[in-house]
Amino acid sequence: MDKIFQLSIFENNDILIIVGLIFSLLSVVSLGLFIFGKIKPEANIKELKARTKSWWVMSAMFVSATVFSTKISYIAIAFLSFVAFREFYSLLGFRQSDRRAIFWAFLAIPIQYYLAYIGWYGAYIIFIPVVMFLFLPLHLVLKGDTNGIINSMARLQWILMLTVFGISHMAYLLSLPEIEGFSAGGRGLLLFLVFLTEINDVMQFIWGKLFGKHKIIPKISPNKTWEGFIGGVISTTVIGFGLGFLTPLSTEYLLIVSFLVAVAGFFGDVVMSSVKRDIGVKDTGTTIPGHGGVLDRIDSLAYTAPVFFHLVYYIAY
Amino acid sequence: MQKFVLRIIYSGIIRSFLKLIIGVKFDNANFLLQEKQFVIVANHNSHIDTMVLMASLPASIIHKVKPVAAADYFGKTKFRAAISNYFINTLLISRKSGSAIQTMKKALENGSSLIIFPEGSRGEPDKEQRMKSGVALLLSLCPNVKYVPAYMFGMGKIMPKGDGLIVPYNSFLIYGKPTLPNSNETQGILAQIENDMRELKNKEKDNNAGI
Repeated sequence: MDKIFQLSIFENNDILIIVGLIFSLLSVVSLGLFIFGKIKPEANIKELKARTKSWWVMSAMFVSATVFSTKISYIAIAFLSFVAFREFYSLLGFRQSDRRAIFWAFLAIPIQYYLAYIGWYGAYIIFIPVVMFLFLPLHLVLKGDTNGIINSMARLQWILMLTVFGISHMAYLLSLPEIEGFSAGGRGLLLFLVFLTEINDVMQFIWGKLFGKHKIIPKISPNKTWEGFIGGVISTTVIGFGLGFLTPLSTEYLLIVSFLVAVAGFFGDVVMSSVKRDIGVKDTGTTIPGHGGVLDRIDSLAYTAPVFFHLVYYIAY
Repeated sequence: MQKFVLRIIYSGIIRSFLKLIIGVKFDNANFLLQEKQFVIVANHNSHIDTMVLMASLPASIIHKVKPVAAADYFGKTKFRAAISNYFINTLLISRKSGSAIQTMKKALENGSSLIIFPEGSRGEPDKEQRMKSGVALLLSLCPNVKYVPAYMFGMGKIMPKGDGLIVPYNSFLIYGKPTLPNSNETQGILAQIENDMRELKNKEKDNNAGI
């Protein structure tokens, strides 16, 4: 039991600071919305309230899955991948004859996370891009239904890359070796990545709402503006700079990495928007009130996690 | 004893498994507690259907609800019949002889509620077949019993007919309102039920456009 609940949150000041920051931020927003609702009862802030409430729930879940024990974190992130994969493949529609390949793709999730858990980098990094890439088409071929087979091959691999391979980089952060003089560790990096990605979404949203005029890609996402994008990227870079104590990076690298995380987050968002536009849905699900499906929330993470991981891995490890 | 076994299996284990792993979204079924007795009428695409319906019920009434099943399949051997009667709480009816309606009527008279799949055998995933008239005949014989339409989407993708492999899929179950048939003719009742099912299906297509 001691091993599972180390409660290192109370020994590690860096982690304590970021957790405190997350919940004070949420408290300020909730209080702000409450007061605003009292002053201007006619204003329609129902959706904002639902969103904030969901942020509370998600933050509480994320923090409790992160700070207590890394073992729980691996399982929690694997489950996140699982739910996102299920949501995405259900949305896209597959043939009945793809069922076996899909079943194997599901089995790839625990294997990928186990490889991350034992820290076998070589196997972890090729398992989905190489092993599953070769293995899944084999299953589709063995079934013998060639009508639309390229569609199934391509879709299945792409979903797996996005929801499992991409997201699993969050878990591998926890398996990175310790660096002397850097106390926050993989847990700090994970908190940094997730906080920065989500605050980037929020910042782009706020800047866009306040000053948005010039649309970036009206065909895909009419709400995305240059003002929102630039304002978001700058705010995110500044916030990333302020949270530098969670990473082992030097100042200039920290700024570059934060900047690239902000840009990657934006791209993750619009890539998923374009997919949703293709299928003709607004949200990928109804799991999270005010946000949509699980995929709607982690679309940017699927992009920022690999970008952040490989930058940090290259620079600091 | 069976009462508690059913509660643990369905409200505990199967419900959480279906929700977390398989991805079934359940409709709230607590309104059934207001009804003394009812007949759940549902579309049928998979063996999972019965599990989903049973797991959706409020725990306190599970033992009173009997899924109607074909005796030639679930009662092939005495052992099989005993197992499904105990663990699925089935009411076995013979598809061939004429006693089926009488068996169901008797169960209703004894205070049980029923789950009926009027399409009979499981069909292709997410395709509806024509309903058979047995359920309408039963309702016309028991005019005080309400029927509750239930529509399930995606179960045939989780476990289609003729395939034992279970693959998770985001799916859902929704209930309509408990309704008394407003005709006492078989054809009229059947048309009413079919209409309700269609409405339920279209309504949920709008709400779950992104599931």
